[in-house]
Amino acid sequence: MSVMNLIRGRRSRLLITLQAASRDWLREDAPMLGYLLKVLMASLFAMWLSLKFELDQPRTAMLTVAIVMQSRSGMVFAKSYYRLLGTLVGIIISLILVALFAQERVLFLLCMALWIGLCTAGSMVYRNHQSYGFVLAGYTLCIVGLPAAITPELSFNIAVTRISEILIGLISATLVSDLIFPQRLWDLIQIKVRQRFSDFCDLLRTNAQSADTSTNSKQILLRFIGDIYSLESFRASAMMENDGAKQNRLRISEMNNEFMAASTTFHALEELLRRQKTNGHPDVGSALLGLYRGLSDAISLAEKSARNEQEAVRIANQLCAYSNNFDLHLTTHRRQLPKDISGRALLDFETGAELLLRLADELYTYALTYSSLSDNAIEPSFKEGLTPPKLEMHFDPLAVALAGLRGALTLGIMTALWILTDWRSGVEAITIGVITSTLFATSASPNRTIKQFMLGAIIGTVLAYLCNFHLLTQAQGFGMLALAVTPTILLASWITTKPSIAVVGSGIFIVFLMHIGFNSSYNANPVTFINDAIADLFAVLVSSVMYGLIDISSSQWSRRRISSSLRGLIVTACRSTTGMKRIQLENAAFDLVQRAGSAQRIAEEQDRLVIDWLLSTLEIGHAVIVLRELSTQITHPHFSEQLIVSLACIVDLYAAPSESLRLKALTAIDNAIENLSTDNSIALAIHESGAGLQRQILANLHFIHSALLDEESVLVAKEKN
Amino acid sequence: MHREIAVLDALIPTLLFAFLLACCVALMIDWLLTRYNLYRYVWYPALFRLAVFSCMFALGGLWIYA
Repeated sequence: MSVMNLIRGRRSRLLITLQAASRDWLREDAPMLGYLLKVLMASLFAMWLSLKFELDQPRTAMLTVAIVMQSRSGMVFAKSYYRLLGTLVGIIISLILVALFAQERVLFLLCMALWIGLCTAGSMVYRNHQSYGFVLAGYTLCIVGLPAAITPELSFNIAVTRISEILIGLISATLVSDLIFPQRLWDLIQIKVRQRFSDFCDLLRTNAQSADTSTNSKQILLRFIGDIYSLESFRASAMMENDGAKQNRLRISEMNNEFMAASTTFHALEELLRRQKTNGHPDVGSALLGLYRGLSDAISLAEKSARNEQEAVRIANQLCAYSNNFDLHLTTHRRQLPKDISGRALLDFETGAELLLRLADELYTYALTYSSLSDNAIEPSFKEGLTPPKLEMHFDPLAVALAGLRGALTLGIMTALWILTDWRSGVEAITIGVITSTLFATSASPNRTIKQFMLGAIIGTVLAYLCNFHLLTQAQGFGMLALAVTPTILLASWITTKPSIAVVGSGIFIVFLMHIGFNSSYNANPVTFINDAIADLFAVLVSSVMYGLIDISSSQWSRRRISSSLRGLIVTACRSTTGMKRIQLENAAFDLVQRAGSAQRIAEEQDRLVIDWLLSTLEIGHAVIVLRELSTQITHPHFSEQLIVSLACIVDLYAAPSESLRLKALTAIDNAIENLSTDNSIALAIHESGAGLQRQILANLHFIHSALLDEESVLVAKEKN
Repeated sequence: MHREIAVLDALIPTLLFAFLLACCVALMIDWLLTRYNLYRYVWYPALFRLAVFSCMFALGGLWIYA
């Protein structure tokens, strides 16, 4: 009996191990293998269709598949849509240019450079797949316009063939990704949303426990900012999918904004606690921590964070209760403070309490929106009336212009070489040069991206050589043709699944498929092949030099520009007559930093400066915006004048940071605080307009004051440099 | 029914227009089904969508060629 039990126990243990292993495999490897299979099927299907229809270049269809194929169906749809749009626009412009300047090549090329520059600039302004559409509208001109200009009588045929091939590629990619193991974007969004909520709660809880604000939390905060944008891009792609994602689009975008608000308030609170710890009254610190722990209890369910929408409802209820009882707790903790405490220390306490209350309210709305994701019914408020909160476009016009210039210049250099040396592979070189110099303009660090692409191009060339002259020569029939191209397709798509080296994969894809040695029949020629291969590599080299020369994302200069545009936001917040909304400030600031790609390179010292400015801008900006909103209720002329003077001093400081201006701003704010807390006539006048008003104004003024006083802040660091 | 239509003197197969029309019709049906949440009765929505489109396109093709 016992032997039987032993065997059974052992067997069940083995079963458990096997189950765990298979679960891991299902979670990690199976989707990847499925993806590889899908890419392969889609490319072969596209190849078969184009051969069946006897189109000129099956490679274009295959290349289209390689470009639009992504793991999630919704993203494939979105990218396909913009690829089609971009191609159509590019072809129309090509035909117009050919009709106008086919005989005059210099004029033709000038117009082409202008168009490519414009499109590259457009790709910098827009995001995600839209940006890709712009790039495509630009470089289609090289693919269609140039051959059409050389043989104007064939231009219509070239255009139609290009469109047909791209359509075939798009159809096979979308069909395969939608029909075979479809991976819904909505699932991914849900996972991301849930994980973000629980991560954020975890962060809050650990902070409340240890009260130790390290630089680590700054990095986590940056990761959250990155998440906001990736979620936003998923949301944009989810338009094309027809399920939960589409119905919850507005909610997700609203939740993004709410999360942005909560995370920046959290950062402000953290900064306050840090300053408090270094040079504040210890009793105040512990009182604040006591209040903070209350909040961290409110966001926990038995020491754990909410993992799904149902638990978020309970969190929301707890947060509501916390906010309602906040005043009670506040009074208790205030009473426990020592009697002889200074006015400043008391202000510290009030400011911290104010921030905590704000954070609790923001978390409450965030949790509510999050929990509403689970019920699929469309809420009436989302259906009508309510305008969707939108991430606006904020960019540096100079950077955009320079990116456009870079694309145009690359075209200029390549065409000049082509014309002057009568280069046989000139068109090939121009095409690859323009593609590479425009496609990576939006990546976080184009210099690294283009190096990866170069590596991919070299590997792709070698593989294309092997395929063209060793495999294809022996292949007969479609089956063997498919067999000959399969290894490279699999290799390249496998590499594209690894985020850190994904561009190597696309390099292999693009170069391999451009050189593949068959159209409607086998036509590889070693001499042409090697000429073209050299042209390609040379073109990639030229565009990498161009990226190095016109470096708008990682140079010292560009970082200084971003920092100063961030500071400019404060100036706008203080001065704008319409009154800047908090959400506008956050969007603008994050967008600027995101575009510059600094968030991805936090490890570098230079980028940390940008991030520090970002955080400082957000901290001060919020307080300024709240102050300006409150100041409309102030009736006392003397005090509102003082407030204006303080804001003006902050504007001066942020317009051109210097130690003397910082001290001047500090004195101005000091004066305002002093007047507000001692002058009875002001206190009375303000008290008439609302009970909490004085407390709020004081808290915000004090917050700005302590932020400016902070010796570790970037405002002071600037002075030391 | 003409198998090719001249648009600005370029002969374009009528089938292309049938394709575009079928796309529009399929999208409209898709929108309706989503709007009234009728996809819950469908086992595999993607396949169903493709099938609807194929039916529409085949109808167009029959109309032109038969």
